[in-house]
Amino acid sequence: MRWTEKDIKQYLPEKEYIDTLLIPMIPFDPASDQMMGKQAFQREINQIFTSLIEKEYKGRIFLAPEYYYISGAAETEVSRLNSWISQFRKQPFTHVFLLTFDAKWKKHEDELTGKLVWVPAIQSGNIQSTETQSFVKEQAGQISELIQAYW
Amino acid sequence: MSDKKRVSRRQFLNYTLTGVGGFMAAGMLAPMVRFAIDPVLQTKEGGEMHSVASVDEITNEPTRVEWTIDQVDAWYESEVQKTAWVYRNENDEIVALSPICTHLGCTVDWASNEEYPNQFYCPCHGGRYTKDGVNVKGTPPTAPLPVYEHKVEEGMLYLGEAQSRKGA
Repeated sequence: MRWTEKDIKQYLPEKEYIDTLLIPMIPFDPASDQMMGKQAFQREINQIFTSLIEKEYKGRIFLAPEYYYISGAAETEVSRLNSWISQFRKQPFTHVFLLTFDAKWKKHEDELTGKLVWVPAIQSGNIQSTETQSFVKEQAGQISELIQAYW
Repeated sequence: MSDKKRVSRRQFLNYTLTGVGGFMAAGMLAPMVRFAIDPVLQTKEGGEMHSVASVDEITNEPTRVEWTIDQVDAWYESEVQKTAWVYRNENDEIVALSPICTHLGCTVDWASNEEYPNQFYCPCHGGRYTKDGVNVKGTPPTAPLPVYEHKVEEGMLYLGEAQSRKGA
C-alpha cells in the first residue's frame, strides 16, 4: 500500500492484514555541490527499492511517505523520527522498518523505535544500466526476505 | 446592362440569408454529428497484445514472464512492468495467469511454499491457488487469479488484458 487516496481506501477496511510499515529515509543537503549528485542518485535508488518491495507485498507492507532530513544531522533527527513512528503505531502496525543507505543511523539504532535496515548503497552509476537494475532487484529480494523473517 | 443579369435587392437578401443561415446550421450540427459518432472513432487503449515469450519455451511447469507496457494515466505516461505465470495444461492449451493475489494485491509465487508444491502461494497472508488459478477454500483470497487473454502468432505468445473471474 502507498500513501495515495486509492490505496488508503483499500487499506482502511483491511487494516489488520497490513501489519508492516516501511519508511524510506532519504538524506539531502542542497548546500553541498559535491553531495547533491550522490544524494539525488541514492534517492532515486531508494525509491526504486521501496517500490519494488511494495509491489511484491502490496497486501502486507505499507509504504510510508519518505522521511527526508538534512544529511549529517542524524543525532537531532532521532526524536523526530520516533515521533513519526509513534503516530504510525496508532494504526495496527506490528513491524516498522526503516530503510536507509545512510550508515550514520547505525550508531543510533538502539534509540530508534523501528527496525533499522541499513543497505550499503551503490555510490553512483547509471540507473538505467542492466547491471544496476539486476543488482537492485537482487538486493530488494534480500530485503524482502529479511522482512519476511519477522512475519 | 439587361435586367436579367441584375440581382434584385430581394434576391440578394435571400441569397445572403440562406448562406448565413446555412453556416449557422452547419456550425451547430457538425459538433453534434461528431459527438454521435465519437464512440466509433475512439481507439481502444487496452486492446493491445504484447509478445512475451516464444511458444516452444512454454512447458507444463508455470514460468514467470515479464514485459513492459506504456500506461497512460490522467496526468502522465509511465512504463509499467507486467508479469504472468505461463504454462500448458493437460489439454496442451496455453494458460497465462496474473500473479496478483485477489486478496490484497501481493505477488504470488508458484510452488514457493514447500508444503504446497503444486500451488500458487501468496507470501503475505498464505493465500493459495491451485494450478489453474482457482483459490483454495479456507485461505484469504475469495476469487481465482485473473487470466490473460492470449493468442499465438508465428510461434510467439501474445498477452492482452487480464480478465478477472468469479469466486469459488
